[in-house]
Amino acid sequence: MLNVYGLFLVSGLAVGSLYALGGIGLVILRRSTGVLNFAYGAIAAASAMICWQVVQWGMPGPIAWIVTILTGISLSVLYGRMIAPSLAWRAPTVKAVATLGYTLILLGLIGFVWDDSPRKLELPTDKIGVWILGVRVTVTRLIAFASSIVIVIGVILFFNRTRIGLNMRALADNRDHAALLGIPVIRVETMAWTLSGALAGYTGLLFGDLVRLDPTVITFMVIPATAAAICGRLESLPLTLVGGLAIGVIEAMLALYKPLAPLRSMTPFIVAGCVILWMQRGQHLTFVQGD
Amino acid sequence: MKNLMKIVPALAFAAGVQAFSPALADSHSEMSCGMNTGKAATGEPIKVGGINGNAPPGDFSGGTDAAAAYFACVNANGGINGRPIEYIVENDQWNPELAGQVGTKLVKDEGVVALVGNGSVVSMAVNAKLYADEGVMAMASACAISECYESSNIVSTNQGPLPSGIGALKFAIEELGTEHAACIGFNIPNNGGWACDWMNRYMESKGKKGTSILMDPTAVDLNSVYLQALAERVDTILLMLPAGPAIGLLKVAEEQGGRDLFKWVSPTPIYEPGVGEVLGDYWSGHLYVNIELAQYDSDGADNRNWAAVTAKYGKEGDRLDTFSQSGFISAKFFTDALLTLDPDKIDRATVTEAIKGIVGVESDLLCGPYYVGDADRHMPNHAGRMVVYKDGGFETVRDCYDIDTAYLDPIREQEKALGLSQ
Repeated sequence: MLNVYGLFLVSGLAVGSLYALGGIGLVILRRSTGVLNFAYGAIAAASAMICWQVVQWGMPGPIAWIVTILTGISLSVLYGRMIAPSLAWRAPTVKAVATLGYTLILLGLIGFVWDDSPRKLELPTDKIGVWILGVRVTVTRLIAFASSIVIVIGVILFFNRTRIGLNMRALADNRDHAALLGIPVIRVETMAWTLSGALAGYTGLLFGDLVRLDPTVITFMVIPATAAAICGRLESLPLTLVGGLAIGVIEAMLALYKPLAPLRSMTPFIVAGCVILWMQRGQHLTFVQGD
Repeated sequence: MKNLMKIVPALAFAAGVQAFSPALADSHSEMSCGMNTGKAATGEPIKVGGINGNAPPGDFSGGTDAAAAYFACVNANGGINGRPIEYIVENDQWNPELAGQVGTKLVKDEGVVALVGNGSVVSMAVNAKLYADEGVMAMASACAISECYESSNIVSTNQGPLPSGIGALKFAIEELGTEHAACIGFNIPNNGGWACDWMNRYMESKGKKGTSILMDPTAVDLNSVYLQALAERVDTILLMLPAGPAIGLLKVAEEQGGRDLFKWVSPTPIYEPGVGEVLGDYWSGHLYVNIELAQYDSDGADNRNWAAVTAKYGKEGDRLDTFSQSGFISAKFFTDALLTLDPDKIDRATVTEAIKGIVGVESDLLCGPYYVGDADRHMPNHAGRMVVYKDGGFETVRDCYDIDTAYLDPIREQEKALGLSQ
């Protein structure tokens, strides 16, 4: 039985690392610009589809991967420069909902350009694997897991040790004060959208390979990614990583309990709900504070 | 322009179909549509509707595309005794509210005499009652939910997951030695739940064991779905899924070296143009698929006609898949039924009666006679063929065979009453 748990643990960690990667991309942007970008999944989906298309055109893999990342950056910066500035002084909820509109636009464009024929995205590392607790784990999955940790560490160092990182944090805290202090707001925000877009492209590439190349599925990956980000209170990268991994493992483990197995997809919502309740423990509800 | 990237694969597939079978290459000369007069129909149009679902996550427009091509060909060849068919197609975009709106628009506002080639499961569920209340028949072609097969006014030419899945299991039991099968399907009550439930009953009826593994349509963790089958200790996996998730699951199995741990069978959805490029060599000779209609490159007259008509009258980007074959043959049966009517007396009532009067018509695309009749449910197509995925294509391993399941008991009664046997 232990072996069975091991199987599902390893499987869950592999998927959880993808959720974590998505969550990390959301948190980076949220911490820098104050925007919770629900279009993250759609940007990842568009990037993955572009990758497939470039491969179909006969381009070598490395070129396709670079184009994937560039697509993520372009689509992210496009929104960050064209639409986000005009919403800069609106409430965080308005900013977040606006990105939903961008999601629908991107999803519509993807559906217009590509039909739903079966497609597959492959990386050379798919063919190499190691056995861990009875599960064959491909090097691609190991890369997903390792890169989520490396990215967390790297971004923490970036935020804490570099001037641009400091500027990003200042901007997220108070955009007006940051501008008064002489922080180049547009440039710093563009950097944040670039970083987030690159991560979206990278996540899309891994998702398209490890899960399936289905734009809708990749787009809605933003749901467990948001749940992971909520585990990190939309601020903490290490907690986001842990949250993503936990969601993946719980979701996988529920497959072992038959009555709940068909409901495994609820896991991100339940975990996020529990985390929100935990974070609000001991606090008064907003609408009863004035009583 | 329907879209950019659809055109290339569609043209490539059309070219592939033509090249694959020499018999299809000169099929233009054998084209046959309706009255075959060679003269365009100019009379008062007969309004016919069609509803498809074409938006993320799926494009089910193959049936209406092929029906549109066939009706265009019929109109260019004398129409229905001089009257052209005005085919009005709506896309419900998988939106129940929109499905209700377009259903009402076609049935009540446009006053269509019938619907043909329908390919939206959402619309089917939403509008089944409307069709019955308004006395209009829907000759569908791309059904996948229980409402399609358990409604008085919907008759679909495709089998849907239930007969095709049982057909795959029947083959697996008889040829592959299956004892315990996992039915992996979507956790949708009138789709995966419905079909897998009947799979399990079928397995029990054969003294075997069946286990349902249901997953959310957007499930990401396919690895755990695969591991669940492993933990259940099944010997066969039935992929009761659309092509995309089925291929995702096969990829996970490939990753885990799972090809030889199970026997792999599937109903029709994975039989799709271009799937060979996606599956690769690993699955060659190891994936068995039950197909609801004839192979794309089969040499039958109706299949050749389908290839010729869609090539000449279809649009760039039209899907050429099983649903397309199904829509084509639905449109043909419909046209043949209309040609029996007095052209001056074609209205919804006479058309509904003519459709219900279709009994025992045959096609090389189907394994048994097609019929409608006056009944509370319809499933005329329940015999299929079995193919194996091999070297990037599909080879027939068992020609037409029927299934035996209690689900078909009321259908058998209908067939008996109509003097048919499959």
